[in-house]
Amino acid sequence: METAERQRVVVVGGGTSGWMTAAALARLLPERCDVHLIESEAIGIIGVGEATLPHIRAFNERLGIVEADFMATTRATFKLGIEFRDWGRIGDSYIHPFGTFGRGTGDVQFHHYYARLLHAGVKLPPIEAFSMACTLARTNRFAPPATDARQIASTFGYAYQFDAVAFAPYLRRFAEALGARRSEGRIVDVDRDGESGDVNAVVLEDGRRIEGDLFVDCSGFAALLIGKALGEPFQDWSRWLPADRAVALPCRTETAVTPFTSAVAMPSGWRWRIPLQHRTGNGYVFASSFASEDIAADALTAAVEGTPLATPRVLKFTAGRRERAWAHNVVAIGLAGGFLEPLESTSLYLVQQGITALVELFPERRASSVDRDEFNRIVNMEYDRVRDFLILHYHATERDDSEFWNYVRTMPIPDSLAEKMELFRRRGRIVKYREGAFLDASWVSVYLGQRVMPSGYDPRATGPSIDSLVAGMEQMQAEIGAAVGAMPDHRSYLADYCPMPVAA
Amino acid sequence: MTDLDEPIRSVVVVGGGIVGWSAAVALRRRVPGLAVTIVATDPPANALADRMAQTLPSTVGFHDDLGLREDDAVLRAGGTWRLGTLFEGWAEGLPGYVHAYGHYGQPFGTASFHHHWVRAAQVGSAAAFDEHSPAAVLARAGRIVPVGVEPEAPFAGMQPGLVLDVGRYRAMLAAFGRHLGVTVHDGEVAEVRLRGEDGFVEAVVLRDGSEIGGDLFVDAAGPAGIVRGRIDAVREDWSRWLRCDRLVQAEGAAAVPSPLDRVVAQEAGWQWTTSTPGGTVRGLCFASGLLAEDEARAQIAGDVVAFEQGTRPNAWARNCVAIGDAATVIEPLDWTNLHLAQSGIDRIVSMMPGRACHPLEIADYNRQAAAEVVRVRDFVLCHYATARRPEPFWQMSADLPASLTSTLALFAERGRLRFFEEETFARDDWLAVLLGQGFLPHRTDPLIGATPPDRSDAAMAGYRAAIARGISRFPTAADHHAAQMKRIAR
Repeated sequence: METAERQRVVVVGGGTSGWMTAAALARLLPERCDVHLIESEAIGIIGVGEATLPHIRAFNERLGIVEADFMATTRATFKLGIEFRDWGRIGDSYIHPFGTFGRGTGDVQFHHYYARLLHAGVKLPPIEAFSMACTLARTNRFAPPATDARQIASTFGYAYQFDAVAFAPYLRRFAEALGARRSEGRIVDVDRDGESGDVNAVVLEDGRRIEGDLFVDCSGFAALLIGKALGEPFQDWSRWLPADRAVALPCRTETAVTPFTSAVAMPSGWRWRIPLQHRTGNGYVFASSFASEDIAADALTAAVEGTPLATPRVLKFTAGRRERAWAHNVVAIGLAGGFLEPLESTSLYLVQQGITALVELFPERRASSVDRDEFNRIVNMEYDRVRDFLILHYHATERDDSEFWNYVRTMPIPDSLAEKMELFRRRGRIVKYREGAFLDASWVSVYLGQRVMPSGYDPRATGPSIDSLVAGMEQMQAEIGAAVGAMPDHRSYLADYCPMPVAA
Repeated sequence: MTDLDEPIRSVVVVGGGIVGWSAAVALRRRVPGLAVTIVATDPPANALADRMAQTLPSTVGFHDDLGLREDDAVLRAGGTWRLGTLFEGWAEGLPGYVHAYGHYGQPFGTASFHHHWVRAAQVGSAAAFDEHSPAAVLARAGRIVPVGVEPEAPFAGMQPGLVLDVGRYRAMLAAFGRHLGVTVHDGEVAEVRLRGEDGFVEAVVLRDGSEIGGDLFVDAAGPAGIVRGRIDAVREDWSRWLRCDRLVQAEGAAAVPSPLDRVVAQEAGWQWTTSTPGGTVRGLCFASGLLAEDEARAQIAGDVVAFEQGTRPNAWARNCVAIGDAATVIEPLDWTNLHLAQSGIDRIVSMMPGRACHPLEIADYNRQAAAEVVRVRDFVLCHYATARRPEPFWQMSADLPASLTSTLALFAERGRLRFFEEETFARDDWLAVLLGQGFLPHRTDPLIGATPPDRSDAAMAGYRAAIARGISRFPTAADHHAAQMKRIAR
């Protein structure tokens, strides 16, 4: 058997993705690698208040992070889904839940029965009335899901909304306790092997040279290694996702601490609202070709609910990803590898998928092309599937009130998405795959929430009589109502479970 | 909201073997309000999905979805249960190995079970991989988990396949189909009439002149594709990889029944033996270019059947969908024939389009069906790709398909099996064959570092011991069968 020599892993960049990577490697592969993270306090991190997907819980659990402790430190709140306002038409609102519609069991998906009843002329509430997660979110309540799969209260999952600026130091303490080293300094040069092109070392401003076997590029948009040093091409997706700026502005929380993130459509993009325990994060993601930074900042300032707690801050980006996130001995994780706007809270999910793949495919001293190819296949697939899902939000609209919405409503979309939409329009069919961030219920929520209605449905949905279906739906609503009524208010659950430190 | 697509109201199934009858029964039973007609022509001898007796565990699930109880679908139809296959002679210098249905080992420590095993095998201290499969150990001992019993760990979660008495099984399905109201026509298709304007199948005309029309046609009539082939003849040939093209089988006197089929590699193919309480079936699958038919018949005294391995990349075209050998012809190694047919039927049920058979809906069906077929082919082919024998038949000349090449490369590199959508065989099935044939990865999961080798060894030994302690509790296949027959006779 080949001996697994210890690898010197150099993590370049100390934001959320850098410290997530360092913590995971130190925790999961203690015998295989020494982790050395380089960060520059002068550069700072992007974090603006982070909304996540339920997958983050598995990541934390694997690292042995205690939920209540983590939530208190990062002033986190629970998240049951994302509310989308004004997307299909101004005045519309729907929730993309972390959970199912109906019970999520049986051969025929719930939305086929729902569509059949609508076609039969039965008056029904929006489909979210049949989702435990949505109903819970709308009533601002929260309790963890039931573990007994027979209970309706088991049909949802949850994620967190937390302060990313507090998460990185939290992970740093964790990683350093496990032996990860940290150096402060700005990287000014990258030393590459003349023959192989691999990176030998990075050179800091003060002349220090830090050698490594594997380099993880977590340097954010700067992409110091994968972009600047290696020149790995970037696939630009801005023709489908034209938003290229965000202006961020935290404010005092004036209304409810909602157990969901909101994404509100704006004239040239959309606005996020992420409620944390101590404040609410806001930001306006917009396309600079349709609105200036001043216009966007003014629109955001006018829209936020409470007293602003800072001055507006602008971030610039381009939607897309590297052709390969792993090239030579450099693995890009986070923004260095690709960027997709946080419309569906996928930033940390994509970081996490990258880390998981790296841990599972962790190389020997000389990484084999098989490892790299497999890593790139997995990571690219994740980005591409999220991309299509995001484009759907923009394209499935009836809005014609601004140049921006006229553009995204009429733009050509990738064939892969056009086919998915057409299959749903015809028969309510969700193109099936088992891997990827967003599965059936996610697609259903956005389609129906943005007025993409199926003209047909699964013929098996005609099995039960209309009356029995209506009765079943009424019963389900009653069951959900009872389960939701038994759960506490979100804010009071937080106060009991994970109050933020008073001194903070 | 646009108008509702007109639903399909009537289906015509062509082919009266177990594939055709399975389709007729499932469509009638599972799609509300569908009129189903079957043209129950006997399938040709080379319709392998209609002829092979051995099935994968998925057939039991197919029965469940139809509401067929095992007493009726298995015992009263002359069938019995099987736990796996013993492969002998596939890798020179290695003992035989069992591909059984169910888990191999149990996860412990920080990595999947097989990584612990591989690490031990690399230093020569591992017991055979299949000694960690409860189903394999049970099957080698000639024993079986009684039907309807859910045993405790480590024997929990086993899923047996079946051995059918094909004739009686067909009769059972036909009786069930008639009971459900399937319209039955005997006779043979003389002509397939296409509609002028769009080329859809309009009707099949039987030899007696009767015409049968419908909204959707299911071609289950064997490899000729007599209905589906009227639309186009596009076919992907697999013979450069899968070189067997002949098969001969014969029934023999009953031997001690075994839940384990035996598949022995030979000079130019492989031979199988399946011993059930009803009798023993032996067969030989071979490449005719390397073994004369006379020589094959000298081994197995039966009729030699010719077949050409390959698939229709588009099983569904317009309003006609091919299943069974009309869609895919594959040698019966690891018994995937009926599985593919039944999986196609399930897919028709769950993806039933409107009467217009819109190209996008059809393309979605074909995409899924092809993904499944390709991976079944890869699994069958991986037996050959990793076999080690000296004869010309066993030398792989053609480049393997890209999907299998990448599977084998990644596995060889680090013991990892990539996930494929629509994959039939689970990770442990692949492991049983790959590791059974001595195809060991160079490296193991990096996460295994946290578990010292001696802890792995102790855990593996403990697991083997738990299996060994448990097996005597289970009845032999013969005793079990006798007890079940007695029970249903009461």
